[in-house]
Amino acid sequence: MSSGQSQTRSNRPTGRKGPPRPTTARRNHAGLVISLVLHGGLIAATWLTWNRVVEMSPESHAVPVELVVAEQTNVRAEAPPQVEQKKVEDTVKMDEPPLPPFVDAEPAPLPPVPQIKIIVPKTNLDQPDTPKTKKQQVAAADAVLNKILAQAKVPKNAKAGERIIQGQGNQSLATADLADALKSQIYRCWNPPVGAPNANDLVVAFDLQLGADGTVLGRPQLTGNSAAAMGNPYTRAAAEAALRAIYQCAPYNLPAKRYSDWKEINPFQFDPREMMGK
Amino acid sequence: MKNFLLPLALFGALLASPALAALQVDVTQGNAQPLPIAIPDFIAGDATGANIAGVVRADLERSGLFKPIDPKAYVDHITNINTVPNFTNWRVINAQGLVAGAVTLQPDGRLRADFRLWDVYGESQMVGTSFSTQPESWRRVAHMVSDAIYERVTGEKGYFDTRIVFISETGPAIKRVKRLAIMDEDGANPNFLTRGDYMVLTPRFNPTAQMIAYMSYIGTKPRVYLFDIETGKQEMLGNFPNMTFSPRFSPDGNKVALSLEENGNSDVYVMDLRNRQTSRLTADPAIDTAPSFSPDGRQIAFESDRSGSQQIYVMNADGTNQHRISFSPGRSGTPVWSPRGDLIAFTKQDEGHFGIGVMRPDGSGERLITSGWEDEGPTWAPNGRVLMFTREIQGGRGAQIWSIDVTGRNERRVMTPGDASDPAWSPLIQ
Repeated sequence: MSSGQSQTRSNRPTGRKGPPRPTTARRNHAGLVISLVLHGGLIAATWLTWNRVVEMSPESHAVPVELVVAEQTNVRAEAPPQVEQKKVEDTVKMDEPPLPPFVDAEPAPLPPVPQIKIIVPKTNLDQPDTPKTKKQQVAAADAVLNKILAQAKVPKNAKAGERIIQGQGNQSLATADLADALKSQIYRCWNPPVGAPNANDLVVAFDLQLGADGTVLGRPQLTGNSAAAMGNPYTRAAAEAALRAIYQCAPYNLPAKRYSDWKEINPFQFDPREMMGK
Repeated sequence: MKNFLLPLALFGALLASPALAALQVDVTQGNAQPLPIAIPDFIAGDATGANIAGVVRADLERSGLFKPIDPKAYVDHITNINTVPNFTNWRVINAQGLVAGAVTLQPDGRLRADFRLWDVYGESQMVGTSFSTQPESWRRVAHMVSDAIYERVTGEKGYFDTRIVFISETGPAIKRVKRLAIMDEDGANPNFLTRGDYMVLTPRFNPTAQMIAYMSYIGTKPRVYLFDIETGKQEMLGNFPNMTFSPRFSPDGNKVALSLEENGNSDVYVMDLRNRQTSRLTADPAIDTAPSFSPDGRQIAFESDRSGSQQIYVMNADGTNQHRISFSPGRSGTPVWSPRGDLIAFTKQDEGHFGIGVMRPDGSGERLITSGWEDEGPTWAPNGRVLMFTREIQGGRGAQIWSIDVTGRNERRVMTPGDASDPAWSPLIQ
């Protein structure tokens, strides 16, 4: 937030021009000053609330993790997360298939002679050919919207990331033990795809919310450049590997008294370059 | 006003900081290990479903990147691939991926395999695809399923639906019979392509995997031949007066680079297959051989002893800008450019020790990934991730084909019927 505030400080005065107020006017305008202070407090509170809303809005973060399956049939897009858990627990409820039926493929003719050359049709099963319910359509639209917003807001996200990193020095001393505790717990679960030709493609970062019991709240959101790079199959594989690690190693064992320090982890970065010797 | 706004901003910052503070974590160390994956038998009316799942499990296990979970450990079963699995039951056995598939026989007699790959922890579908083919080609369907899973999880193309052409070696050492043979990437369906009445060496696939170039001792001189896999027809490549050897196709398949011997000297030539015109690329009194195109076709790596020992060089595809890239102690030869373009694999020989190494095209980052009594002749999987090579067994006990991941992990023998050498990995079958 520091750069955001400094930006506020530097911008606002330049927008105010005019002669300095005479000192004799202070007494006469004491009420005005008090009023300004109160209004200022109101503005600050509004500004703060607005910022929190923006921070918490899924649209402000890059791609929801749904993007990793954006090209395929997405069960989550058809069933809101809060009810999905019940469905997962009870397959009996799945009598009505949430997935689109497989698309029939028109088989390509086989080549006439060779036994070792076989041409077969490859069909994507994920092209839904049944009408979706309104609920499904809304969920699907949300997923698409999130994706579009995430891609459109790359510069903004990148700036936010930089801002956070700038503030890292101030809090890292106080929270270094928490970061180490998390790293030591997630180490065994993180299995990055280290065979990629370009190690930089594998660096991904999330905004992760944790419950007081160390469980993962909601879907971790990809942030910054890693969200923008999800079109790269290596980055997508890396993001999914990191996500599997986040889920598999949860719940996390962290000091409950300091929950406010670790309820949000952002950026939660996974960087395998050191593992790859690059 | 300026004096007033400053404390206001600080006041805002004071309020805002605690709410916006987030813990920052940079994870740099993980646990590179095969991904546990459950691949239950595909739902089917006969054994085909179990057969396909068995091949998929074997494919993925062989890659070293997956660890298929023993079906005996499953606590749940797939009864319908159109419903969402109960992920909890698959997390119990630590499965991170789950493959649900079904096989049906279509009214037209074709076999159809549908499958979905599920992310067990993310609780989402990662891929879902259908393949159809003739029932007897069920192994290919299985390999294609494996490729789809591999690609989706690793981000890079698979290599299971490919073939290996190699030299099958039989008979006593003094009368070795070397025949051209071909098999699936997993060793299934081995077949001889030549009868063995003449020796063949250094087979190489063209980009469509339908044509093989190789050297053969038909007649008095070794020469390069082309072999059409579909028709079995073979033809001599050019009518050169002297020995030709070490052929390799260009990435577009229109050219073949090869070595031509003349008066004890060999140089690299390239022949355009469309008009059979030949161009000379090197003109050095040293032995220049083993050309290999870069994937974009613009450059050629080759080996030369012009410096006094066998080393690797790179030149433009027209022969200009020849420059040495290998400088480590010992000899470096048989360069093979990765289909991914990022590395050149080669055979290293230093003080009697052999090994397969890789380096970047500029010669940097050289590292050995195998070490053996005699490891040589690397060939790349079409995704540039895995290599096969020949391993001679000490004491003249024959030759074997081995594979290894480019990271140096997962070294294992490729099972062949009898001794085998000089493997060449095909592109993905079209």
